[in-house]
Amino acid sequence: MSEDSVPLALPLLRLAAGSSEVTTLYRELRKPLLRYLVCLGLSSDEAQDVVQDAFLSLQRHLASNGTQENIRGWLFRVAHNQARNRQTSYHRRFSEPLDGEMDFLADDATPEQWVLEKEKFRRLAAAIRLLTESERECLLLRAGGLRYREIGEVLGIAVSTVGDVLERAIKKLAEKCNV
Amino acid sequence: MCDVQEKLIAWLDHELSSDEAADVDRHIKECSECRRRLETYKKVSETFDIYCDAVVAAKTRPRVSRWVPVLASAVVAAVVMFLVLPQRRVEPPPVLTPTVAAASVPVPAPRAEEPAPRNPIRRRQKVPTVEKRAIKWQPTEAAVQIAIPAETMFPPGAMPKGMNFIAELSIAPDGSVQQVRLWQ
Repeated sequence: MSEDSVPLALPLLRLAAGSSEVTTLYRELRKPLLRYLVCLGLSSDEAQDVVQDAFLSLQRHLASNGTQENIRGWLFRVAHNQARNRQTSYHRRFSEPLDGEMDFLADDATPEQWVLEKEKFRRLAAAIRLLTESERECLLLRAGGLRYREIGEVLGIAVSTVGDVLERAIKKLAEKCNV
Repeated sequence: MCDVQEKLIAWLDHELSSDEAADVDRHIKECSECRRRLETYKKVSETFDIYCDAVVAAKTRPRVSRWVPVLASAVVAAVVMFLVLPQRRVEPPPVLTPTVAAASVPVPAPRAEEPAPRNPIRRRQKVPTVEKRAIKWQPTEAAVQIAIPAETMFPPGAMPKGMNFIAELSIAPDGSVQQVRLWQ
């Protein structure tokens, strides 16, 4: 994903004109947010729109003296809710297998490595398909670096539930993937 | 079944209280089974992380790039078709002059015009036969000379009697007439 993609230039400027704190957050959290949204099943364009909207909401929120605690969780929650509004069947798209899309593999990967990796990801994709929506979301937010408390806030569930859901999800993946 | 087994993932994520974390620390030093579990959970987490990156990379890649190789191949194929096919179809240039065409002396060789009309229809079968004929022709009859009596081309009395013109037809490897020279 390009750092300087055109659609993001405008809000970044607007944010820069507003608060340096928000700009710092934008630089820090834009990528994790985009990754979360794209993995939920949004298209790249949709995800960029949602991230822009979330940061503009954040700016309004801070300007109106809203709470400044746990801004990261706040942003993920806003983005998550917007994503839900936009895409009700995103979980289906997230679990699509990545046929022929393994370009993250190093160029010097041998064909054997490539085949092994591909097989590993095929199994993982199949295992992810078997997870519940809540398990998938918890895993994605965890992969985004959120603490259990933040995940609970985003999804509106208790911290202890987050722990249980994550444990169940990871054990399911471990069992199916045999990594 | 180990007591701390349910806490291993929270331990990995640093989500346990210090007391609970200390319990797990002590336990995994002694329990190889839980160490193995921890290793598996770590690997699953890492693989999931890379998978997410792959999903993002796949979805954010410019769509046109997928088609570039296809389009490039199509363009190359089209260029090759344009370069190769017309050459095969090309008809030998009609270099024969009207004087030669009017010659009354029978022309021994199949003329350039002869294979041309059938070419577009039976090209696939035609090409090898043309080449065969070329092989047969090339060593012996690279050029054909035809003697044309002058009185067949000019009004009586215009040219001295017994005078001949010689038409020399150079034959290309494919059997077509490449060049015609006419001299006295």
